[in-house]
Amino acid sequence: MTTVTFRTNTLAWRDINVGDEVTPLEIPLTTTVIVAGAIASRDFMPVHHDREFANKQGSPNVFMNILTTNGLCVRFLTDWAGPEAMVTKLAIRLGVPAFPNDPLRFTGTVTGTSEGVGGEGFVDIAFKGTNSLGDHVSGTATLSLLEDRVDA
Amino acid sequence: MTDETADKAKFRKKLDALTGQPTGGSGKPTVAPDPVNQPMIRHWAHALDDMNPVYLDPEFAAKSRFGGIVSPPVMLQTWTMPAPKLEGIAERGGAPVEIAKNPSAFIEEAGFTGIVATNSEFEIERYPRLGDVISVTQVFEDISDEKKTALGTGHFITWVSTYTDQNGEVLGRQRFRVFRFKATS
Repeated sequence: MTTVTFRTNTLAWRDINVGDEVTPLEIPLTTTVIVAGAIASRDFMPVHHDREFANKQGSPNVFMNILTTNGLCVRFLTDWAGPEAMVTKLAIRLGVPAFPNDPLRFTGTVTGTSEGVGGEGFVDIAFKGTNSLGDHVSGTATLSLLEDRVDA
Repeated sequence: MTDETADKAKFRKKLDALTGQPTGGSGKPTVAPDPVNQPMIRHWAHALDDMNPVYLDPEFAAKSRFGGIVSPPVMLQTWTMPAPKLEGIAERGGAPVEIAKNPSAFIEEAGFTGIVATNSEFEIERYPRLGDVISVTQVFEDISDEKKTALGTGHFITWVSTYTDQNGEVLGRQRFRVFRFKATS
């Protein structure tokens, strides 16, 4: 069994300011990553795992499916904010495809913070994931962060 | 020329008629084939190298705001995918199973056989928990006029999915858009 060290701390929303940079995340994309993500998201569309089929559809290679893109956006956000950051909104627009061996780099900025009720705060983020071809994904997200947690 | 204009007008009317229609034809919700479960969450977490302890560490998750293991929120779209029939999946544009009464089949039949996803907008009420049985209903929202992009000529098709749990509580909503096209190459 592989032992994984988990990140356990989550950011406090009051410590976050408009203009703060979300920690960049670089994903070394390979065919394996693209195929694993497609199958794990239960997307068996051949463009994501069959190169010949992708060619016939006009693409030079297999490319990442949108569910995996969505999943990596979530990972980008929680890798920065912490495991208890809850994604309440995630809106993405796909641009260029994400092909194998073209690293995907996520960057983002905090565009707003606001207080909710009961110690909950919201953080708005604008972000994108880019590769050598341009913007693969651009979008916005809102995270909910709790100030006072009830310890079980 | 007049025939082509008339055909285009007829096609446009058929596209307009889809707005508000369920994408599956019957309007009945699609129920996830399996409840939210740890093995599938682990499969996703490792494929995406997203080692968030709320997905994988029961002890941490129990003490967290989520009260227990949860799945990534965007897996809402995965949980409700029917178990696939691989044969013919390419011809169905990636749809896991044949839709008995597909109201948008005429778009594909008109030659727009290519398909790519272009947009997704999620609003999450709560994350899926182990054991949740999730259902989804999907309704067409909009179909664009014919557009030309780098991939080819086609229509942008948007639908809205509403995800509910076993008690009918809404877990989240997703606006999803695909581009159905005739390939240029």
